[in-house]
Amino acid sequence: MTGRILVVGEARGGHLAEATLEAIGTARTLAGADAISGYVAGASAQGAAAEFARYGVSDVRWASDPALDDAAAGKVTPSVAAAADATGASLVLVGGTSFGRELTGHLAVRWNAAAATGVTDVTRDATGWQVRRPVFGGRATETRRLDGDRAVVALRPHAFPIAAEASLGPHVVPVDPVETPAGWREVRRLGTEAVAAGGGPSLTDASIVVSGGRGVRAPENFHLVEDLAVALGAAVGASRAVTDAGWRPGSYQVGQTGKAVSPQLYIAIGISGAIQHLVGMVSSRVIVAINSDGSAPIFKVADYGVVGDLFQIVPALTAEVRRARGM
Amino acid sequence: MEIVVCVKPVPEAETRLRVASDGKRLDVEAVKFVLAGYDESAVEQALLLKESVPGSAVTAVSYGPTPRTEEVLRAAIALGCDRAVWVEAAAGASDDPIDVARALAAAIRPLAHDLLLCGKQAGDDEAGLVAAALGELLGVPDFGYVTDLKWDAGRGRLTFRRSAETGVESWEAPLPCVIGLQQAWNDPRTAKLPAILKSRKAPIAKVTPPAVAAAGRSAAEKFELPPPRTGAKLIEYKTPDEAAQKLVRILREEAKVFP
Amino acid sequence: MARKFARTEMAPHAAECDRTARFPEEIYRKAYELGLMNLNVPADYGGSGLGSLEQCLIVEELAYGCAGMTTSIIANCLALEPILLGGSDEQKQRILTPFCAEYQLASFALTEPSGGSDAAAMRTRARREGDEYILDGEKCFITNAPHASLYTVFATVDPDKKHRGISAFVVPRSAKGVVPGKDEEKMGHRASSTGTVRFESVRVPARDRLGADGDGFSLAMRTLDQTRTPIGALATGIAQAALDLAAAYSLKRETFGKPIAEHGAIQIKLANMAQAVHAARLLTWHAAWTIDQGRKGTLESSIAKCFASDAALHVADEAIQTFGGYGYMKEYPVEKLLRDAKLTQIYEGANEIQRTVIARELLRAYQ
Repeated sequence: MTGRILVVGEARGGHLAEATLEAIGTARTLAGADAISGYVAGASAQGAAAEFARYGVSDVRWASDPALDDAAAGKVTPSVAAAADATGASLVLVGGTSFGRELTGHLAVRWNAAAATGVTDVTRDATGWQVRRPVFGGRATETRRLDGDRAVVALRPHAFPIAAEASLGPHVVPVDPVETPAGWREVRRLGTEAVAAGGGPSLTDASIVVSGGRGVRAPENFHLVEDLAVALGAAVGASRAVTDAGWRPGSYQVGQTGKAVSPQLYIAIGISGAIQHLVGMVSSRVIVAINSDGSAPIFKVADYGVVGDLFQIVPALTAEVRRARGM
Repeated sequence: MEIVVCVKPVPEAETRLRVASDGKRLDVEAVKFVLAGYDESAVEQALLLKESVPGSAVTAVSYGPTPRTEEVLRAAIALGCDRAVWVEAAAGASDDPIDVARALAAAIRPLAHDLLLCGKQAGDDEAGLVAAALGELLGVPDFGYVTDLKWDAGRGRLTFRRSAETGVESWEAPLPCVIGLQQAWNDPRTAKLPAILKSRKAPIAKVTPPAVAAAGRSAAEKFELPPPRTGAKLIEYKTPDEAAQKLVRILREEAKVFP
Repeated sequence: MARKFARTEMAPHAAECDRTARFPEEIYRKAYELGLMNLNVPADYGGSGLGSLEQCLIVEELAYGCAGMTTSIIANCLALEPILLGGSDEQKQRILTPFCAEYQLASFALTEPSGGSDAAAMRTRARREGDEYILDGEKCFITNAPHASLYTVFATVDPDKKHRGISAFVVPRSAKGVVPGKDEEKMGHRASSTGTVRFESVRVPARDRLGADGDGFSLAMRTLDQTRTPIGALATGIAQAALDLAAAYSLKRETFGKPIAEHGAIQIKLANMAQAVHAARLLTWHAAWTIDQGRKGTLESSIAKCFASDAALHVADEAIQTFGGYGYMKEYPVEKLLRDAKLTQIYEGANEIQRTVIARELLRAYQ
């Protein structure tokens, strides 16, 4: 096993996707810059290919065949496999987008290799790769060994920092065109529509919930909670005090006599943490509390807390979230 | 149209998770297994297509140990699948998703199959690899994250939409192919009692899994529940902006829950 | 499937129907569509043809969701059982098949204002006139009466013969002179509908009489032999729901620095509740199994119904106690369970009568 890593990139409008930048960053924590190669496909990906160097990966394999522009993962697989052979990579890393996950399945079969998706941590020891990943909706974490000469890993998006910039000179190597697998020849992509911004997810389905409590003080302030929810793509909840006071309908209530939610992230704003509320949200994977009272019971069950004035903290947080998400 | 739908038994959503004595996996003692949620959508889609394309049949296929796999196949039959094939896994057999895909492919190859339907991912390991792996194994195109699946009989093409990060893509493809469905854009039906009673006696074809080709494999090493909460880590800050930046960074890099 | 239906379709509406005493017809229709009604009717006539144990498994799951809705759902089984036990093949075909073919409700009309437990003293008269009977009288506390399309009615053709003078009839709501009363306001089971039904010179053709004249009382008793056990299951469902609520709450609620589940007083309470629930379930299953073996099972089913209903009341009571002040508030789901449990001690044979039956059956073995 050479320990060489191939980072498979996705091009978005001539640039590398953020998920790819995260994968590059991860690769750089696992190997030196000279042991990492990049890959990207499509005639329109030339700019993206050159971008690898900005993040410390100078050896880039570019399959410039126009047939591979915006192609489905199965169609791109033979080309990726050729690049992995050419670079002698033993680990293929890809951002866990829909493309990345599908590619992982294809490559793993092709090489009869170990694979994992949704990975939040990758390490290497003497015998091979180890990955950690959330399972059961994030309620547990499993660690898996990846054995064999090669492994394919798709990283959970937004779980790794983006690579630091480094100014290297790009060295782009063309990948010879590979024949399109027969079954794909009559497949056609007809178009793409941008995602329309719709109403937020429902409280019980949402993977992120932002809730407000009595600390919000008045119904006209509740929009602070809702603005943060919109920025995060989250559902909005409320404590019983808020719904009893009529600031929001009863359907917003999270708690013993309201809804029980268990999202990946629960942000409790101006909520003291009475048990009747806790019962409805304590099984959330990560809980953040924002409250001016440092002794509020909510801080005992939260994972992270900000003790302070929510009227200052929450708007700042909303702005920072929007900035981080490029909104 | 001969439709094959892959189904998996998974612990029901309300299961209280416990670590098995070997520390490597979920303790399945007294755990109730049900048809995976996304698979319910796949079965529903299969049945809708069967009902709209005359002369179609649906076969449910599953890989797994006794008795949960058999029960899930019977649940699929109770919903309306015509046949069921069970690739019986020995206790302690590999749970590597690629091994699973190989086992399913071996069972599917001898069947007439025009369209293979899978759920997006199972509610337990959430690997989401089966559809793509089956595509590679069977040498047919595969598409995941699909909604709005329609069959255009006149042109002999499937049309569908695919949810990707960049937006919603529209595609068309000929048969045979593998489709991995996005959840809950259809409303899965509930099996009625008479069908449930009948499914108890339905025949299920059993297939032995292929010998595992030793090469690369993923193996479970540890299964951990989150540690009990000991109180919030309070973020220190001088300005609200600093608090916001620190929190967002923590949510991204430490907690890994940033959207 | 029953569990999923109970938890996703019934339970979310239980509190609202309890508060407003609404009869959730849409939920009953769904239960019918899924095959959860008419459980005891053989598949040949359009029912689900389940044995006693299978019925108990389903009924307990449904009752866990809402006892009141379950009462209305299984009331069809009670009303149709006399036809299964005492009807001719012709009657079963003529009456059951069309009834089960679509969503309909039926009522078992035995109880009267002047006699509930003392059923033999009923006053509803059936006077023979040629090929017909003229039915006059009033029944009360009849489940589904305001909504039923079919009534199984017990009436006396000869009061002097007491219980040997009672006959059983199947009467459609559409018959002239059938007057269903309004919904009564009840303590519990408020999603179920209960009321009077009056028969004012209703003409009933002789071919709608079940069995011979004088067979009615025995038919009613044999019916109750079959339906007692599912009531045990219903009570068990209520008790399990109460236990689950109390146990989960006790782990979260803290007093004196720790969850109340760590206080001995609560642990003993929960342990007693758990024993009661398990015992109720097993007594019910044993009775159901006995009946499925083809035996009469009167002793077993009486014990099951009596024990399970008493257990449900006690467990619900203790569950409220576990919740403390919150348990007394209507906003919390636990006080409804006590109100629902109470009825299980009264209907389908009051527990005082059950004890009489138990004693009688018991002593029979020693004579």
